[in-house]
Amino acid sequence: MSSTIPTYRPDVYSREAILDPYPHYDQLRALGPVVRLAKQRALAVTRYDDCKQVLLDDATFVSGRGVALNPVANRLSRGTTLNSDGEEHDRRRKILASRLTPKSLRSMREEVERRADAVVAAAVEKQHVDGVADIAEALPTSFVPDLIGWPQEGRENLLRWAGATFDSLGPVNAQTLRTAPSTIGMMRFARSVVRRDAVLPGSMGADLLEKAASGEVERGECPALMIDYLAPSLDTTISAIASALMLLAEHPDQWAALKADPSLIPNTVNEVVRLESPLRAFARDTEVGGVAVPAGSRVVVFYASANRDERVWDAPTSFDITRDAAAQLGFGQGSHGCAGQGLARLETQSILRSVVERVDRIEVTGQLTWGLNNIIHKLDHLPLRLVPVGEGE
Amino acid sequence: MRIIADYDRCEGHGLCADQAPDVFDLDDEGDLIHHFDGAELPAEQEAAGQRAIDACPVAALRAG
Repeated sequence: MSSTIPTYRPDVYSREAILDPYPHYDQLRALGPVVRLAKQRALAVTRYDDCKQVLLDDATFVSGRGVALNPVANRLSRGTTLNSDGEEHDRRRKILASRLTPKSLRSMREEVERRADAVVAAAVEKQHVDGVADIAEALPTSFVPDLIGWPQEGRENLLRWAGATFDSLGPVNAQTLRTAPSTIGMMRFARSVVRRDAVLPGSMGADLLEKAASGEVERGECPALMIDYLAPSLDTTISAIASALMLLAEHPDQWAALKADPSLIPNTVNEVVRLESPLRAFARDTEVGGVAVPAGSRVVVFYASANRDERVWDAPTSFDITRDAAAQLGFGQGSHGCAGQGLARLETQSILRSVVERVDRIEVTGQLTWGLNNIIHKLDHLPLRLVPVGEGE
Repeated sequence: MRIIADYDRCEGHGLCADQAPDVFDLDDEGDLIHHFDGAELPAEQEAAGQRAIDACPVAALRAG
């Protein structure tokens, strides 16, 4: 059976492919529902329906043996929510998600909106900004570390550490090796924070350590769970905000439509995450051999490809904020679906609301650059001019 | 068509209510309300109901 699976030789995690992955995804989708990645010795799943099937069938496709493409990261990330199955996963997920559901975020909505508006107001004041550093990074870094409870010390490292933690989940390549010291830095710091009880009072981290004190969670699990909170909460949202600004700047018709009808903002976030999915792919292990996939295979689910599958999306490469993009897979789906998506949506929508209110026109004024990361697809720099409302030419 | 909601799995993201506002809603507390829980969906709501199932980010809805 496995002999019928086509093989793809180019490295989809090469530097060039990381910077421009979509031509590879197009070829993978065309080759078949399951394609062997020669370089990674794993099976790529790249079509929407198949990705969804894998995500929803967590009895067959398990996460407990790791979601990374290398054995070292799979061993090191034991104990995380991302890396577990069944009841153990559900227990960790409940702890993680309880503070992140839209319901529990309600009390934070005004605060996030206020912060987002302050970020956008400051950017509009400057007019010429880097959409990544001045807007996309400014919001999550201003409050997410507080929410999670990281102490002030070491914060200057968090973005680098979090990015490296994602990098480490890719295959072993130059990228993983380059960022390995930062990955280790993040783990060491997480251990030290837990050991010293150094989390901020009232934070999610404080909740977690209370649960450890009462025996609900094992103390040994806490560093991994702290990383679970932090690593995915920054780069992903930063990616979505920056890509939203880029896409709206590049598509004046869509920008005009959004200005005319701000109720399109929630779906705009779906469409941005569909078209420029912040997460490229994660792997799973196959527990039970199906018709097409032999037991024991590493299966890599390419969310970013599923979200451009011509089988389910009309004109998949077009940015259209009026299409129904709610079923995009950028947040994953099912029991491992992104626990922080309520917060990510809140942050991104709040930024867009303020941009729509305060900005007349967005222009890309220079060369934008994409970041190099095995897992995260994110702009590094986005030079923008924000023409304020009332000053449009 | 019936839609079965797993209330334990539901995290209240509300995408179902956007897709099928006559079938799903969130109450003032942010908890899910399923107007046709245990009942057949009216035929004209089936397409929207299916979109709600497809959009649920945590797969808490299924056709039954």
